[in-house]
This record gives sequence, C-alpha cells and structure tokens, in this order.
Amino acid sequence: MSVIATSSESASSTAGPGAGASSRSARPVSRERRQQRVLTAVLAVIALFTVAPLIAVVILALSPADAPTIPRSLPDSLTLDNLTEVFQVGSFPRWFLNSLIYSVVSVVIVLGTASMAAYALARKRFPGRNALLWAIVATLMVPVQATLIPTFILVSKMGGVNTVWGLILPTLANAQAVFLIRQFVRDLPDELFDAARIDGAGEWRTYVSVVLPLIRPVLATLAIFVFLWHWNDLLWPLVVGQTDEARTLTVGLATLNTETVSTSSIMAAALISFVPCLLMFVALQRHIVESITSSGVKG
Amino acid sequence: MTAQTLLGRAARSTERRREAITGILFVLPTVVIFGIFKFLPILGAGAMSLTDYQLNGDYTFVGADNYSRILQDDAFWQSLKVTGLYVVIFVPLIVVVSLAGAVLLHQMQRYTGLFRSLLFVPYLCSFVLAGIVWTWIFATDGPLNAALGGLGFGSVPFISGSQLLVLGSLAMVSVWKGFGYSMLIFLAGLKALPAEVHEAARIDGAGAWRTFWHITLPLLRPITLFVLIIETIVGFQVFDTIYVMTGGGPNRASHSLIYFLYDEGFKFFDFGYAAAAGVVLFVIVLLLSLVQQRTVEGRSQS
Repeated sequence: MSVIATSSESASSTAGPGAGASSRSARPVSRERRQQRVLTAVLAVIALFTVAPLIAVVILALSPADAPTIPRSLPDSLTLDNLTEVFQVGSFPRWFLNSLIYSVVSVVIVLGTASMAAYALARKRFPGRNALLWAIVATLMVPVQATLIPTFILVSKMGGVNTVWGLILPTLANAQAVFLIRQFVRDLPDELFDAARIDGAGEWRTYVSVVLPLIRPVLATLAIFVFLWHWNDLLWPLVVGQTDEARTLTVGLATLNTETVSTSSIMAAALISFVPCLLMFVALQRHIVESITSSGVKG
Repeated sequence: MTAQTLLGRAARSTERRREAITGILFVLPTVVIFGIFKFLPILGAGAMSLTDYQLNGDYTFVGADNYSRILQDDAFWQSLKVTGLYVVIFVPLIVVVSLAGAVLLHQMQRYTGLFRSLLFVPYLCSFVLAGIVWTWIFATDGPLNAALGGLGFGSVPFISGSQLLVLGSLAMVSVWKGFGYSMLIFLAGLKALPAEVHEAARIDGAGAWRTFWHITLPLLRPITLFVLIIETIVGFQVFDTIYVMTGGGPNRASHSLIYFLYDEGFKFFDFGYAAAAGVVLFVIVLLLSLVQQRTVEGRSQS
C-alpha cells in the first residue's frame, strides 16, 4: 500500500513541478490552516482557564471592600485602596522587607560562592576534588524536609531563630547551583584560559573578567529560580520566623488567610506578593524557558 | 638529566601546587557552608533520630525506639496513606495535563511564545498564593459552586468533604500551579524528536492518534521518566497548600507526611521523633525514584 502511494506521488512530482505541486498542496494547506485555527481556539480556552484564577485575584484586589465575593460582572469602580491599606495593616511592610532580603541576599551569595566553587571544580586540580563534587551532588537526593529538624536546632543554637540571617544561612548550600554552573564552566574553551594566563591575569582576575561574563546566561537563570524558590518558600520561613516581625510574606499571607480578613484585603496582599515574580518573569522569560527545556533534555 | 628539565619539573610542580591552592581557596566558602548547613544536618538527622531530643536540648540515646514507635503510630500510617493517595491522584494528572499541553503547543505554528507564557504563569506563584485563590474558588459560596448551582447541581464540599474529594481538590491546585514546568520539559522532548520518524508514519497512513501512541510516546519515555520522578518527589513533599487550605483536615483526611513531621516537631516539640520521620521520608523518596527508574528502564528494554 504505502509503496504504491509513495511511488505515485514521486511520479506526479516528476511530471510537472508547477501544476502538480500546487494542486496537491492547495487542499492540505487550507486543511492545515483550519486545524491551526481550531488549535488556537482550544489553546485560548485552556489558557483562559489557566490564567483565570490570577485574573480573579487582580479583580478582587482592586474591588471595593464591600463588593460581592464572587464578581458576577466587572465591578463598577476599581480602587487601589486595598493595596495601600494592606501596606498599613500590621507588619505587612516588614514581611515584604523580610522576603526581599531573604530572596535577594540569598541569590547574591549563592551565585557568588557557587560560581567560585564551580570554577575550581571544573578547572583546577586539587586533592579531594572529585569526592567533593560527588558529595555536593549527592545532597540533591536528600529532601530538605528530611533535615528540617537538625537544621532548625543548629540555627537555634547559633541564635538565628527569628532573625533574617538565620533564615538565609542554611539556604546558601545550593547544590543545584554548584552543579549547573560547573557544567557550564567545564564546557568553556581551554584557549580562553590560556589566553588569560598569557596576558598575565591572576586567578581572581580570570574568574572575575573571563569566567563570570561568559557564564552570565546560567547565572541569570539561576538568579530567577533561586529568587522564586526563596520568595515562595513556606516551610523553612515558617519554623524559623515565629514572631510577627520575623515572618516572610508567604508566612504572613498564610496567617492572614486564617484570620478574619475581607476577601479583597487578602487578595490585595496576595497580588502584592505575586508582582515581583511576575516582573522577574517578564524581564527574563527567555532564560527561564531555555533553562527548563535544556534540563529536561539532559535529564 | 639536564639542568633545564630539572628546572622545568620544579616549575611544573610549583605550578601544580599553586593550582591546587587556588582551587582550594575558591571552593572554601562552599565547603564551609555545605559542611555546616548540609552535611552536619544530614548526619544530625540520623543521630537525632536515635535519641529523644527535647526542646531544651536534653536527650538520651534510645536506639531504634523512635523507629519502632513510628511503625506503631496510627497517625504516621494515616499520613503515609494520605500522601500515597495524594501522589496516586496528583502524579498521573500532572503528567497527562503537562504532556497534553506540550503536544498542543508543539502543533502550534503561531503565538507559541504567548501561549507558552500564559500556561506557565501559575508556576511563578507560591503554593500559598495558589492555596488562597483556590480556597476562594472551592468555597461553599465560591464561584465554582455558583457555576455548578447554575447547572442544577448541589453544592460540593471540595475541601471539607470526603477524603478523596479533598485530596483530589488539593491535587488539582498543585497541577494548576505546577504543570507549566513539566510541560516545558515535554515540549523540549517533542522538539528533539527526529522529524523523519513522524513523516514515515504519516506516509504509511498512520493517523495522528496512532502516531502519538505508537511513536511519539515510546520515544518520549526517558523524558516521561524524568517528569514522573520529579513530580512524585514533589507529590511526596506536599505541605504548603494543605497548611493554607485544610490544616490537615477535615478529621486528618489531608494530614500528609510533611504535615506529620511538622506537627511532631513544632507542635509537640518531639524533635527526635520528628527527625526519625524525616529519615523515613528520605528512604521512601529514594526507594520510589529507584523503583520508578528500574520499571521504566526495564520496559524500554523489552
């Protein structure tokens, strides 16, 4: 069957490329176009349902406090009152600040220490190098929750409970960051390092002005993910920040949710917590997509 | 042996020593951080699980007592059952949804970037935010029940009804929040497939469904395994949405393993016992990913 089909097809294409091709391709093209239209419609509906809960957050956050909890239509008037009020309620600004410090400081230190270690692990020979790399990668198999209790006791012995540095310290050991950057540094061409040495660049200089600029894509990707992980984290901040002052935004949100707060205020708080993540995504989405897709293929 | 080669050898060995010193200096911060905050707690978890460590720091060695106690603890078995049920609902659901999303996106010739971004957006929000929105959606007087009421159905107690309903609703939230990530991994897998195989199938007269079932899916097996493993691990760690939406209820129907660990540690301050729960969690997650890897590899070889 298939042999006949292919041979007749090749016969007609040799007969006359102009006429034959257009008559054969005319129908498939329009059929394909129709398929594409259906596909677009289906995906549009799916995308709408996916984004709908977040749109609801925005609408509820901007609705007057006495609006019905299920908006049957767009509210008559939108207001920024909820957003400004949330910032005046209790320790909300403090929570926001704690989250910001937790996320940003962690990103900076993780990227700094991990890229230094990655440079050494990929490019320098020293005793114990492979054992160290192996040990770091092996920690990826241990779920963080499995070491929650000993980590908490350690931090509490150091006096880090209810402090932001106590929150940050344990998260600086990020095996994914070390591993990912190392793969990247390993694949840089040897000539670059030879050239740097011939130019008389010292080790620190080579790291700062040769390695760091070249690994910018992987650093950008990791910056997004480390930021998101910390900004959205709940369990660790929940056990370390036990006082109102020491809470992060996620812990604060979870607390607000159990108190009797109006739907519009809780949604306003939720919206505020989401904005930094969204901004980050809009700015750097190309890197996010690339990094996830490449990790998938490698995995 | 000439003086020159001797000199060369000396220079090489100094250089090698310098290289080793730089290497060690550059990994030093990481070694210190990992030593204190990763390796020490991992060892600590094992050690603490053999003691009755208390809030004030007092402890005595109790051997395997915590482990024999955990095996006789109804609350532990309940949490294991909850987590198992949750994983059984959550994992197939998220794999199917993310694969379907990837296949649809892969067929698209235009607006791919836009749709990809829209489907990915929920991944950016926290489980806490997801929990808050879906608590509102699932509420007795919420929009979902209003819609169901409009269709003539009675009110559904999504997060306060039967265990299956509650766990299904919680899984729904996690699928919504997380499928974008796995979808992108599947999408990359689809893009990496050789185009010739699909062309050959089409020429042989295989329909879209047959092609997908007999060609695309088997070729995607390694990627599916990867997604299965990461999502199973995610499923076993479910906590945030439960904390926000049900508090482990109703009547412990959603009291998962991590919730058990959290309660034992930070509600009852039974740290040694909670550490043992952590070790059990580690062993379960490790075994499951090994079993999964074996099963899928075995099937792909046959």
